[in-house]
Amino acid sequence: MMITENEINIARYCISYAVEHGADAARVSLSKSVMDGHTLLNGELDKVTHSADRSIYLYIFADGRYGTFSTNRLEKKELEDFIIKAIEMVRMLGKDECRVLPDLERTAKDAKTGLELDLYDAGYGSATAAQRLEKAKEIAIFHKTPPSEEYTIISEECEYSESADDNYLIDSQGFEGRHKETMYYCFAEITIQAADGNRYSGFWWDAAQKEAGLDHRACASKALEKATGQIGPRKRRSGNYRMVVENRAASRLLAPVVSALNASAIQQKVSFLDGSLGTRVFPEGMTLTDMARTPGKSGSRLFDTEGVATKDSAIIENGTVCQYFVSTYMSKKMGIDPTIEDLSRPVLMPYLKDEDLTAEEKEVSLQAILRKCSNGILVTGFNGGNCNPVSGDFSFGIEGFAFSKGRITHPVREMLITGNLIDLWNNLIAAGNDYRPSARWQIGTLAFENVSFSA
Amino acid sequence: MDLFKVSRQQLDTLIAAALVHGGDYADLYFEHTTAFNLLLKDGAVSSGGFHTDYGVGIRVLKGEKTGYAYSENTEMEEMMKAAQAASAIALGASGSRTYSPVEDRRHDLYPMERNWRDYGADAFVPFLTGLEKEIFSRDSRIVKVIARLSNSVSDVMMFNSLGELTCDSRPLGSVSVSAVFVQDGKTENRSASRSFRTGAELIGPGLIKELADETVKGIDARFEARRPKGGQMSVVMGAGASGILLHEAMGHAFEADFNRKGQSVFSDRMGQRVCPEGVNVVDDGMVAYNRGSGNYDDEGVPAEKTYMVRDGILTSYLHDRISASWYGVKPTGNGRRENFRYNPIPRMRATYMESGNADPLGIIADVRQGIYVDEFSNGQVKIGEGDFTFFVKSGYLIENGRLTMPVKDINVIGNGPQALADLLAVGNDLKIDNGTWTCGKEQSVAVSCGMPTVLVRSLTVGGE
Repeated sequence: MMITENEINIARYCISYAVEHGADAARVSLSKSVMDGHTLLNGELDKVTHSADRSIYLYIFADGRYGTFSTNRLEKKELEDFIIKAIEMVRMLGKDECRVLPDLERTAKDAKTGLELDLYDAGYGSATAAQRLEKAKEIAIFHKTPPSEEYTIISEECEYSESADDNYLIDSQGFEGRHKETMYYCFAEITIQAADGNRYSGFWWDAAQKEAGLDHRACASKALEKATGQIGPRKRRSGNYRMVVENRAASRLLAPVVSALNASAIQQKVSFLDGSLGTRVFPEGMTLTDMARTPGKSGSRLFDTEGVATKDSAIIENGTVCQYFVSTYMSKKMGIDPTIEDLSRPVLMPYLKDEDLTAEEKEVSLQAILRKCSNGILVTGFNGGNCNPVSGDFSFGIEGFAFSKGRITHPVREMLITGNLIDLWNNLIAAGNDYRPSARWQIGTLAFENVSFSA
Repeated sequence: MDLFKVSRQQLDTLIAAALVHGGDYADLYFEHTTAFNLLLKDGAVSSGGFHTDYGVGIRVLKGEKTGYAYSENTEMEEMMKAAQAASAIALGASGSRTYSPVEDRRHDLYPMERNWRDYGADAFVPFLTGLEKEIFSRDSRIVKVIARLSNSVSDVMMFNSLGELTCDSRPLGSVSVSAVFVQDGKTENRSASRSFRTGAELIGPGLIKELADETVKGIDARFEARRPKGGQMSVVMGAGASGILLHEAMGHAFEADFNRKGQSVFSDRMGQRVCPEGVNVVDDGMVAYNRGSGNYDDEGVPAEKTYMVRDGILTSYLHDRISASWYGVKPTGNGRRENFRYNPIPRMRATYMESGNADPLGIIADVRQGIYVDEFSNGQVKIGEGDFTFFVKSGYLIENGRLTMPVKDINVIGNGPQALADLLAVGNDLKIDNGTWTCGKEQSVAVSCGMPTVLVRSLTVGGE
């Protein structure tokens, strides 16, 4: 089901047809994907899905103007009409001379087959429907879990899916790049009713580029553990506490920082990190690196959507902002050097306040961080909330546990955290290296001092 | 059928192929969508585009189990492959269920005077530049304006194994705008949006004025606003966008799939009191031109107005065909999907509470210490526990019955069943909010919400 030579020729034809009919430049992104999934409800098959997608995204540059267009109708005559109409529409738009293709020198030269980053499982597609169903059944524990006096499992949903994506990017100045990856995914969500009559739910997921990397059998057990862990929640008083954030939730606190480093937000004056380039905004010791080209790892890619080559580089180093994310367009618009349009695979380096981690390979785990913090609230998930992109002021609902002397004491409920993101990160106590292998964002457990909780 | 290049005989053949392994029911969902968008930024409408999506989704039900597959072209060979893939559910699932025809009630909720497909970018560029000019003219503190116009028309055709054939053409037009204000080195932003199932007649001077009014309204208060002291307090929710409370605290938990699976906190409360007497909560698919409305849902079930709560009693969940069959009731027209790539599931449409008797100003006057909220962004709910949150972009403290200090950027958290039981007053000023609300339960669908002014005894408010 991957992109064929004929389909590549269709993409090439789109480029030549657009240029012949008035475009100054053009880029085409051809994407193809296939997915097969099985979902079980309470151990029984509930849903079987099969999907296969194929679409073309067309970027037209004409007369100093620019537009983007897409279609999943790839017949030649329909595409020709589509391109003609696209060029007509572009000519109706306002001029913007900053819209150009990236400098060819900056584009990736090494994305020839799409397999360079080892993200594609050669065995993909060999499993039968029966084998995939069996995998889904191996996730389920509904009929395997012994009865408990503390709770009853009301509902268990388990999902197993396999998917493959193939992307071919080409532009009119000669760039061609290919990216292929497979994904094996499992998910479980369990709802229980506790002896007190209240319902609690927990979920867990895992994903891997290669089938061998997926730990699907443990998925439902972990979901059940998350659900039962919430039995008997108590409210804590409003106040300022140390906050530890579990690795699976931690990216929520970094995402607004990454958004604020985007040149587009800065140019539109909706970034709380405007003017931060080259300055120390975050605590010394906080280092965020984009490890875009790590083979076999989720999120790795050799080129961005413009075709620009990625590279491993520091975004924040020892608290100092090293780069904004600057696309070709924003580079021209702002008169600054282009970088990359967005993060690929961010890695937050381990950090322990007042401790030197450079001398040894120290494990900075959840347990170690709880011990270091002694007392506070462990956040295992966020429930709604938002961050003002202009000010960095945030307010998030949380779920998790109170902990004392480094040990979890009881679950908490209906609590909120409120503050400013720059202040929050400057109160960083620890950043763990207990990364989830399956996550694109490699952010370990985090800990912060003096966080305002409302209850 | 011409649009999708299929004959009635081919539809029958596809249904037969889908049921070949013994499914109880099968349906086909053909879709052709054209979408168009323009963006004004830095003083010019300098980017935009259009998009075409075309395909057919094929679903087979065995009992309440689902087999689903789709094809991006309507060549018979490709559609037969999808039908065969979907049919496999009947091989692995046990049980069976009867799916019954629905009464056909034809509606015409969104006739287009001017079809979007007849107009190019040149027809709308002056509107966006006019909108920008109007907003800049309103306030000298504005430094940036971004405006977006998008529209789509979806032609759908649905056919099922009960022989029901339904067609619909669904327009959707949306305009959103945001402005950045700078005052004494401080930056604030405000935004406004409108979205309707209507044709290009939506675009005109009236909309420019409405959006400009809303974009600049309350900016002085926003510059003055602070975070309140957090904690539990009475919350007055202003008329209109406060409907997000219903959407999160109640609507999702009333979607029948969550109840059928026992996951919802309301799954064993049908027929019980969930709100004080006099409170009526509705999910309505029949509000003319509303973003959440549909002449039919995405299973070919005609639109209806569904009372979830009447006089405080839980009277109906929101059903698709599967849950309706499971509960032995009629489907309520809530089987919706993002597009042909997804199977339909119970989803909200326009969710609102009907007006009560209280005077809105009197509701505020009765609060000694609390908060008034009237602008929101995202919300979320945990179905099992019923815990919900929504983010407040702006509001005011209430002190001794009067609005005092402006507040902003706070999250509010509560428990659905508790919040509904804690409704102390319902105003007589129901307002439907016509912003670009989109619900993201597994798939994105257009919805809307509404509310009269209400007083909730106690919610937890984030603060310093």
